[in-house]
Amino acid sequence: MTAPMDEMVDGSGRIRPHWRDVLGAVGGLGRPQLEERARRLQRAAEEEGVASILPGSKSAAVGWRCDPVPLPLPADEFAALESGLAQRARLLEVLLADVYGPQDCVREGLLPAALVFGNPAFLRVWRRAAAPPRRPVLRLYAAELLRCPDGIWRVMSDRTALVSGLGHARENRRLMGEAMPEAFRASRPRGLSTFFELWQDSLQRLAPPRAGHAEAAPAVALLSAGHDHPHWFEHVVLSREISAALVEPGDLTVRGGALFLKTMQGLQPVDVLVSRVEATTLDPLEFAEADAGDGVPGLLDAARHGALSLVNAPGAGWAESPALAAFLPALCERLLGERLWLESLPTEWLGSPGAAARALAGPEAPLIRPAMDGAAPGARLDGALRAAVLANPSGFAATQLPPASVAPCFSGVTLAPLPVALRLFGFSDGDRWHAMPGGLARVLDDVAPMAGRLPRSGWCKDVWVLSDENGPIIGPAAQHLPPISIRRDSGALPSRVADNLFWLGRYVERLDRAARLMRATLSRLRRGVPLPREVAELAALASCLVEAGIIEEEARPSGGSTTALAAALALAVTPEGRVGRLQSRIASLTATVRDRLTDDMHATFVQTLRAARAAGDTAGTGLEALSRAMIANLRFATAVAGVASENMTRGGGWLFLELGRRLERAQAVLAEIGLVLEQPPARIEAGLRLVLELCDSVITYRNRYLAVLQPAPVLDLVLADPSNPRGLAFQMAAIGEALAGIAGSAEDTLIEQAGDLAQAAAAVVDDLLAAADQAQAASELPPRLAAMADALGELSNAVFRRYFALLPAAQVLGLDDEPAEVVPA
Amino acid sequence: MIYRVRHVTTYRYDKPVDLASHLLHLKPRALPGQRVMNARIRCLPSPDHATETHDHYGNATTRIFLAAPHKHFEVVAESLVSVDFAPPPPAEDTMAWEDVAAAAPDGEAAEFLFGSSHAPVLAAAADYARPCFTPGRPILAALLELNSRITREFRFQAGVTSTSTKVEEILRLKRGVCQDFTHLMLSALRGLGLPARYMSGYVRTRPPPGQPRRRGADQSHAWVGAWLGDAHGWVGLDPTNAIVVRDEHVVLAWGRDFADISPLRGVILGGGAHRLTVSVDLEAEGGA
Repeated sequence: MTAPMDEMVDGSGRIRPHWRDVLGAVGGLGRPQLEERARRLQRAAEEEGVASILPGSKSAAVGWRCDPVPLPLPADEFAALESGLAQRARLLEVLLADVYGPQDCVREGLLPAALVFGNPAFLRVWRRAAAPPRRPVLRLYAAELLRCPDGIWRVMSDRTALVSGLGHARENRRLMGEAMPEAFRASRPRGLSTFFELWQDSLQRLAPPRAGHAEAAPAVALLSAGHDHPHWFEHVVLSREISAALVEPGDLTVRGGALFLKTMQGLQPVDVLVSRVEATTLDPLEFAEADAGDGVPGLLDAARHGALSLVNAPGAGWAESPALAAFLPALCERLLGERLWLESLPTEWLGSPGAAARALAGPEAPLIRPAMDGAAPGARLDGALRAAVLANPSGFAATQLPPASVAPCFSGVTLAPLPVALRLFGFSDGDRWHAMPGGLARVLDDVAPMAGRLPRSGWCKDVWVLSDENGPIIGPAAQHLPPISIRRDSGALPSRVADNLFWLGRYVERLDRAARLMRATLSRLRRGVPLPREVAELAALASCLVEAGIIEEEARPSGGSTTALAAALALAVTPEGRVGRLQSRIASLTATVRDRLTDDMHATFVQTLRAARAAGDTAGTGLEALSRAMIANLRFATAVAGVASENMTRGGGWLFLELGRRLERAQAVLAEIGLVLEQPPARIEAGLRLVLELCDSVITYRNRYLAVLQPAPVLDLVLADPSNPRGLAFQMAAIGEALAGIAGSAEDTLIEQAGDLAQAAAAVVDDLLAAADQAQAASELPPRLAAMADALGELSNAVFRRYFALLPAAQVLGLDDEPAEVVPA
Repeated sequence: MIYRVRHVTTYRYDKPVDLASHLLHLKPRALPGQRVMNARIRCLPSPDHATETHDHYGNATTRIFLAAPHKHFEVVAESLVSVDFAPPPPAEDTMAWEDVAAAAPDGEAAEFLFGSSHAPVLAAAADYARPCFTPGRPILAALLELNSRITREFRFQAGVTSTSTKVEEILRLKRGVCQDFTHLMLSALRGLGLPARYMSGYVRTRPPPGQPRRRGADQSHAWVGAWLGDAHGWVGLDPTNAIVVRDEHVVLAWGRDFADISPLRGVILGGGAHRLTVSVDLEAEGGA
């Protein structure tokens, strides 16, 4: 086997010129510093959501690691790759137009019928027999290449369906700019922003003319399968780069032949959809294999009739078929009248006469891939594959793999030469293809799949295209878009995102409440032998803990023993406990609203949540450590509140987060006061002290009333005083304001309900003041507070019904419900 | 023969359907031997949006979208169609079936060589058919024998199979309905390397002697389109009735199998449980 080419060192052992600046900078750092940079890259990736937020949480479980050493490409070499990539994309574009149109290539024998009609990736629903498709099927393209020992880059796979990796490449560049500034300054790689600006511009131009909305700017959306998709973070990055709304299938609906986004402000039109979901799950009406709940019924028909542009159009994935590579040179001559500049790795379709025998007999085991499944990683020919190939040769393609070129990679200890695959990206503006001056280099270590779909995790390098000193500066062409009118709202808020923010608010507050209750309990347990007053307080706290679902009934203190209570609290902070589960739920919700959070906000969320989880993980059963873990949880909740208040505009998203938090807190305040006041009149003072502690109002009370505890002033502070942000009245006012902000009007039944509750709270205090014996009156309050809690629960349900009522389930008709047939007589 | 076709499909839902999309293959296609004098589709409630296209196979395809809540949905497809398909050539004049198989990959029928979800290329089905396909036998002779054999050896019985019943299962059950026999024959022919397509449409109901025609008793029908080679093209074979398609069938559409061209498919939001009734009338004009 020939030796692989070394990207960095030439045949005589000299460093190639385009590596000098990078190596100089990397070498100048020294190894300890390089280790630190590698760690910094890893940390940054984690904080920004490339990796999962909490270990084991379902969200975004992607482990992409960016190597601190980039892969530099000289300007002239990239220029050749760029034109090769553009030509190859053009070829596939024309070929797809033929396959989804007249099919001359099949008729002329340039393409075996099996690769079209026997190919599951050929989506008949997108073909129009009569006329060619209105728009090019292919708009976005990527190729994955290996450099062969002869120094030539050749294509291993064409990516035309999901075209993953673009967002990762963008993110790598950002991370590298921060982690490796010296190398950056030394090499001055070409920037990526222009590429994304041009792409965004071209996407907007794809918008079909919209009757009656001529003045509105085109709406571009990026369709993702959701936050548990392995490439969710990439979707977040991409949607930001191209200013597209990040949407999931459930956010969309087709009405009157056009696509709309369901938002809190009603249906908003979508003109261009960059799809990151499998084409066959786009529309359950068109694809029999789709589930009823998949996709958006009517979406394909909207695209078919030009009311919507899909990037890429369904069916583009056909061009990923590995066997196609064998036919591209001839097709290029026929369709473009040109020689194919960017060749494929030598590939044969094993359905061609003699091809299977050649593949099986060759000296090197080729890469065997399913002939028509571009997503499959493929494997080197072995015994099992040999049998499969012999049984059905036309189902496979064989590719001769060269030893891929090696580039220095930092393993964490040393720089080692490892093989790399280079993924390049391009988009079409309708006239020409633009290649991104950069790319994603995958390190082909032992675990990396060779070809196929971008894996969910891996080791990658940023690709630096070095600038030609005299190169032209390219910027987006002058746009003739209508000026955007100034808006003060936060744009269309998809209903799903509002729902998630609402629940994020509720769960963060629920965690805050759990931490407060537990901290209060732990501080009493830590005193060893409790005073009689503390015994009563612990009983009341245990009631609150049971009510909040933090401990079970059995854990209540009994007969002076608090062992079970302490054990239950230790259990609650484990990942399976109440606190741990709340943290996991928050982590997963944070991932779902990743696109609504700035990087700083997200980093704050993640850092403080991780700290809280870590404090719980190491707490064990020590009361002091558990207390510290509670403080870490409170710090997280405070950080969320601070970030929300200082960094979010007071628009749709913030309103729902606020509404969730305030409703949850109001319910907690009422429940706790009710439980704590369930005391005989003689003990009411202990209850009042606890009320102040749980509502974080001890100091305020002391400043106002010194040390004398009386029911009316205490309950005024926690129920009726609208200036106490931990009290009920404040929550009700905030709920009313949030509801008014969402509804766009203060005239609303829900707002009235919130107002009624605030008045009921004021009436409680008035009645206490008028009572002959305040302690007696206070101990009779719990039923009245319970009624208020019920009213609040009704308000919460009404909010849920109005804004988040679940849609009825979708179902498919006409598959298995044809009535039984009657035999024709 | 001229037929007046009336195909009524009715869904009744327990709960209101909020949003519905339906994909219809309910307009007869114009063909040599089949003239469509008129064809129309009406729905109740009337759709908010509807489109008409021709699909990949050239079949007329209608999509209708309803955005107002409804508990009842009815589609009425009516047409007036004149049918007189040319008689097939004498069986002995057709090519040897092996030669048809050899010519198929480069011919116009190549698409229908490949397996599809409901009619995969299946060795067991090919084995079932192989006794009819003796070496060198003219293809039509073999096809006619297979067509009759399926009618003879399989019992027509509704309710034992569904649209998701696999061909293997049909071979084992030895019973089913027209769709099943069609899928079986498609699998068998494709397994022998012969192109075959799924034909959807209707067959006329012959009135028993002395009785009026049974109105509303019929359903959608299905049969096989088999390829005889470039010279003779396609022939329609109805393995449910052991007949060659001449003037008793009306063609709606063709595809690889049922899934490509099911007469009516829909996705609804809401609705709960539903009841479906279908009636097909194929009345010969002039009472013939």
